[in-house]
Amino acid sequence: MSSIDRRDFLKLVGAGGVGTGAGFVLRESINHPVEQLIPYPVPPEEFSPGIATYYNSVCSMCSAGCGITVRTREGRAKKIEGNPAHPVSQGRLCAHGQAGLQVLYNPDRLTGPMSRSVEGGELLPVTWEEGISQLAGRLGDLRANGQGNSVCFLSEGVRGHLAGLFELFMDQLGSNRLLHYDFAHPQTLYAAINRLFGEANLPYYDLQNTRFLLSFGADYLGNWISPVHHGLGFGRSRDGRDGVRGRFVQIEPRMSLSGAAADEWVPANPGTEGILALGLAHHIVNEGGYERGDRDAWVASLEAYSPAAVAEQTGVSADTIIRLAETFAGTQPSLAIGGGAAGQHSNGVDTLVAVNALNYLVGNLGREGGLVFNPPPAVGSGANGAQATYTSMLEIAEDARQGDIQVLILNQTNPAFTLPAAAEFRQAIAEVPLVVSLSSFMDETTAMADLILPSHTYLEAWGDDFPEPGVGFSAGAVSQPVVSPLYNTRATGDIIIGLAQALGLTDAFPWSNMEERLQEGWREIHARGVTAAEADDFEDFWTGVVKAGVWGETSRRVRPLAVESGVIESIGVESPEFSGSSAEYPFILHPYLSNTLDDGRGANLPWMQELPDPMTSVVYGSWVELNPTTAGELGLVEGDLVEVESPEGTVVAPVFVYPAIMPNVIAMPIGQGHTNYGRYASDRGVNPIEILSPQVEPETGDLAWAATRVRLVPTGQRVEIVKTGGVSRELGREIIQTVDAEPSAGESAGLSSIPVTVVHS
Amino acid sequence: MSFIDNFLARWQEYREPGYYKEFDYAWTMTIDLDRCTGCEACVTACQAENNIPIVGERGLAQGREMQWMRIERYWEGEYPDIKLGFIPMLCQHCDAAPCETVCPVSATYHNQDGLNAQVYNRCIGTRSCAVYCPYEVRYFNYNNHHWDAPLDEQLNPDVSVREKGVMEKCTFCIQRIRQAKDTAKDEERRVGDGDVQPACVQTCPAEALVFGDRNDPQSQVSQSMNDPRAYHVLEEVNTAPSVVYLKKVETDAG
Amino acid sequence: MQGEREISYADVNRDVVRSLVETGSKYYITLGISATVTLLCFFFPWFYQLHYGIGAAGMNQPTVWGTYLASFIFWIGLSHSGTLLSCVLHLTNSEWRKAMYRSAEAMTLFSLLVAATMVMVHVGRPWFVHWAVPYPNQMEMWPNFRSPLMFDVMAITTYLTGSSIFIYMGSIPDFAAVRDRTTGWRHHMYVLLSLGWRGTDTEWHRLGWAYTFLAVLIIPLAVSVHSIVSWDFALSVVPALHQTIFAPYFVVGAIYSGTAGIVTVMYFLRKYMNFEHYITKLHFDNLGKLLLVLSLIWTYINAVELFTGWYSETSFEIEALRYKLFGFYAPLYWEMILFCAVAPLLLISKRFRTSFVPMLILSIAINIGMYTERFLIVATSLSRQYLPDSWRVYVPSFVEISILVGSLAMFITLFLIFVKIFPSVSIYEVKETLPEPEPKPQTKAGVPEWQPTR
Repeated sequence: MSSIDRRDFLKLVGAGGVGTGAGFVLRESINHPVEQLIPYPVPPEEFSPGIATYYNSVCSMCSAGCGITVRTREGRAKKIEGNPAHPVSQGRLCAHGQAGLQVLYNPDRLTGPMSRSVEGGELLPVTWEEGISQLAGRLGDLRANGQGNSVCFLSEGVRGHLAGLFELFMDQLGSNRLLHYDFAHPQTLYAAINRLFGEANLPYYDLQNTRFLLSFGADYLGNWISPVHHGLGFGRSRDGRDGVRGRFVQIEPRMSLSGAAADEWVPANPGTEGILALGLAHHIVNEGGYERGDRDAWVASLEAYSPAAVAEQTGVSADTIIRLAETFAGTQPSLAIGGGAAGQHSNGVDTLVAVNALNYLVGNLGREGGLVFNPPPAVGSGANGAQATYTSMLEIAEDARQGDIQVLILNQTNPAFTLPAAAEFRQAIAEVPLVVSLSSFMDETTAMADLILPSHTYLEAWGDDFPEPGVGFSAGAVSQPVVSPLYNTRATGDIIIGLAQALGLTDAFPWSNMEERLQEGWREIHARGVTAAEADDFEDFWTGVVKAGVWGETSRRVRPLAVESGVIESIGVESPEFSGSSAEYPFILHPYLSNTLDDGRGANLPWMQELPDPMTSVVYGSWVELNPTTAGELGLVEGDLVEVESPEGTVVAPVFVYPAIMPNVIAMPIGQGHTNYGRYASDRGVNPIEILSPQVEPETGDLAWAATRVRLVPTGQRVEIVKTGGVSRELGREIIQTVDAEPSAGESAGLSSIPVTVVHS
Repeated sequence: MSFIDNFLARWQEYREPGYYKEFDYAWTMTIDLDRCTGCEACVTACQAENNIPIVGERGLAQGREMQWMRIERYWEGEYPDIKLGFIPMLCQHCDAAPCETVCPVSATYHNQDGLNAQVYNRCIGTRSCAVYCPYEVRYFNYNNHHWDAPLDEQLNPDVSVREKGVMEKCTFCIQRIRQAKDTAKDEERRVGDGDVQPACVQTCPAEALVFGDRNDPQSQVSQSMNDPRAYHVLEEVNTAPSVVYLKKVETDAG
Repeated sequence: MQGEREISYADVNRDVVRSLVETGSKYYITLGISATVTLLCFFFPWFYQLHYGIGAAGMNQPTVWGTYLASFIFWIGLSHSGTLLSCVLHLTNSEWRKAMYRSAEAMTLFSLLVAATMVMVHVGRPWFVHWAVPYPNQMEMWPNFRSPLMFDVMAITTYLTGSSIFIYMGSIPDFAAVRDRTTGWRHHMYVLLSLGWRGTDTEWHRLGWAYTFLAVLIIPLAVSVHSIVSWDFALSVVPALHQTIFAPYFVVGAIYSGTAGIVTVMYFLRKYMNFEHYITKLHFDNLGKLLLVLSLIWTYINAVELFTGWYSETSFEIEALRYKLFGFYAPLYWEMILFCAVAPLLLISKRFRTSFVPMLILSIAINIGMYTERFLIVATSLSRQYLPDSWRVYVPSFVEISILVGSLAMFITLFLIFVKIFPSVSIYEVKETLPEPEPKPQTKAGVPEWQPTR
């Protein structure tokens, strides 16, 4: 046949198309682009290809101050571990600490200084010289005109020599507007400890050696003040001593991570934790054999708080209160801690005073397994000195609106996100003529800046830290860079020193950079002979401290155990006050720091977004937790979108039916809801902080963020919540097996032995 | 002996599980459920150490999680008598692993350290090993993964980055084990107890994970395994896992 | 047995050759459409999947198997049609199979080929799938012979080889018959294909012996192939899969599905290839009876599965069953029961069995139900394994459904090509059922004249 007929033509076309397509796709799938290997002609010093170099430093992901060891290969940071020598972390580290690598290598980091040349214009790159001179020029003018006080410096919580540097700088400018602002700073706890014991620093809660822990709302394993160290303590208390197993009780309206770990979770009405603590105290003082001299004063103060009297308000039965009190008093050593939402009501300080007073009543102050007082930190006045409360932030905002603030300098803090909308802080910032940010990332607050002088991340900079809460003795660590700086950023300390020099303050700031400043500071520590320094030479001492990643002294604090009589008289907890009427707003909002995103700072880290929330397994989003009965009554199931409406505003999130929350309480995690924080965080979820009512704890002026009432309005829409878990019930399958009591030593092994033959090469 | 006699004598051996019955080291992990707090530090540490890809929201919405070590949660009871238990679940390195028998190309096998090893470049992606695993700890790469630069600077050079179509799972940080064995060999000694710890064991704040050689009766893991609370998960499936769990103690606090 | 009218040898020759040689526009259009659908719905999505990864499908963690594997098993199952009709019924000397078995064998062959392509689609790195074949290589690696997937490779290859030889060998006399009655390129093709068959006594004798011998060999193959495929599941420890009933379950299901497939193909063959006299009500009647028996066995096995799961009193098994019946996929389960257990009861009525269109609809329904069964085996068992916190639902993606449709189109395309090359009704076997013709008056040349119709 000379011509091809239709049938053959179709076959040829088909085969040809298939062949070409297949070949192309297969080839593209199999071949991968060859990677270029360019060796260094002259490699840097500490650089052996194929061999890891380890640097000790300090983690800055939360305020605990764990020592870390960073493994680097070829100049790149690969893995962060806890520093075994550091007393806080002892070789261990939490998920946030591990994710520090993603702070360093985040694709959305600010890579260099930027400035808005025109008001409301775009942020354009500038050089450091231009940026520093722009800011120094303004500051210099203000200082020269005696208007130094119109400069306001807002930083995240910082300790050590950097905090001192800020203080010095602001002092030189003539400004007293230096504040550290963190949403979760335990302001009320500091106030309580101060009132009760006259201490300016947080005590050391010795979980490791305790036999019975009573926690009032403090998620000590999740986010509360020092989670890694508490984790260590928890584990060792449980299983670290022969035949002794520590027991843990958690009292809170919504089960937190610590509540899950506890032997018993006691749901108590929000804001009544302090009243409950006094119920226990009442029993201990009246029936529990309390024999100290001040007994009468206690009985008088606690008269109104008998277990029967407080049972109804707290929602905890009198029998339970008595049982807990007897166990608490009868198990020695025991420990009571309080914090979290319990301290963030209108009665927050009184609550935490009541909780910590329990420690006094059973005599566990200053002893192992109880509450141990810390010596003041070797450097600085402790973390609470310049810490801002909600009220002080409102004052700043008011000052800004009045035009009293000409320059606002921000350092790694994001009040536009972590303050409620009711504070109207964003609007206030807009009134400030020059807003400068030293942050490493673009965030909601930095987006409002006129000048950005980005800082190194903590893995690229020199610094130091003295952990708070302390560990019972004075300890600290130097934080060193583990990699060369990635971008055209500078260490925060260097920026301040650079500004100071540009302002001509070379007398007060004789150092050329932060490293020099640190060395001078540590020379003082060395010279005080505070440590039992083996080496008298400072250079050896400094190298030793940097290399070890830790410094400590062995002397401890001993102080009398008395509580002043005036304090005893002041013991008492008022009923909590909530915003909104219970008729209109039937639920109490219980916001909590997300285990993965903290107060929102972790939202731009993909590992943290991807990490399932431990209690719910939800990822990449926000949710509203509802008690199952409540959900049933409202006809809501998982995924139903509801409007959570407070007197201040509304957020919309899907429902999650949560088995361990009180029926009249709803909970929402804090951390999502960013609008401008990089690709992983932006436009994801909602921020419950926005709708918090400006309810304040009167003594400190801190935000009572657990005191907002809300109502739920179903929208009728449903979404699929993204979570990694399936059905979170065992259905009789005994996957997590339990025993009723710690088996005594000598019982036969529960496991049939695995047959192995030992062979050594 | 004749061929038949020889065969009959060895028949019993053929029927016993595991490629190797004589392990050089028998790596074992114990997980104390009474200490585990569910904080998931181990999950992130494993991700960092082993170049585990970031799946993203869309992938997770499709259910394609990638967590070699995952925490499972089980609620018990109803409000207000409600408890939540966590159980870390990772490859159990079973001595009678169902996954090893089913891989058609022997991409997964039992090595002489008692580990269930996965050979990425041999895997053709039939995914039958994931079906056969009763613990569901095998994870498949459904697509090539991407790290937005410079997140890829963090990747561990000791661990390969897997391409699409291959199966992966916990290896007990075999790269660390290999490193420890190399160092020990250079120093002409055996790997000591505590010389090697997988990333999860190293980071656990509650010290719930213990790792070591169960062939060494002095090792910490041997002591831990012989605790009266020891048990295997899904014991009835008879996989002879190398991960031993210690039962959670459930008492009333009062 | 014969059709409604006496047909002669000459009619058989003519009808079959005509079916090969005459092609109308309807054929081209159908072929064109099915080839295009194959390309668009099978190959293009598959290339996309090769590029992107298996993530293009809907599988997730831990439901790592999905419609690809279900399709694979379905197509292997469909392949048991030929074996039953060709081999089993050959050994029982059933006459009614003779008109149909060639097409049934072709179905076997093409089902196996399509199943092989499903393997390529299913596997994560198909460019290395040859590693599952034991061949000497520089890596010095054999595949893992303990693996049921390896058994699959062996069994299916054997089955494929055996079936190909079987269908080819059985067609040699027919190729010869057609060779003698065609001209041009077809003639050359059939000369090659018929291997010089002359129709001598010795040749017939040897063919008959070899054919029966191969038929006897292929029967255990058919049982073993699908048993082995079932062991892909049954050798696991997954609760709903680890059951001894799986081997008979799958084999029965395969024969059932295959027989239903034959009914479907026979309907179309009969209608569009002008084989009304060869494939008659009798054939449908017998196929219908076969289907009924198989349906009852299948129903019984399903009931046994439910029963054993229930009395095992283990949480794992009972949950798996409960999920099948009342869980997310429950509508599919009940659809399967309706189509495969309830609807076939209509076959009790002879009137139903001898009506063509109702049989067609029922056979398609049965195959839909059987596909659903394979899908459910995969999806429900993987969704509900031992650890409840890892339970996950799987929904097939668009790519998967498209590939399923494309695989069907591929099968149809292959079959359409087949009917124009192979005589789809066996000439010599049909002739065996007919009375011998009277010799025609000879022409002067001594050879009866025959004009090929074009």
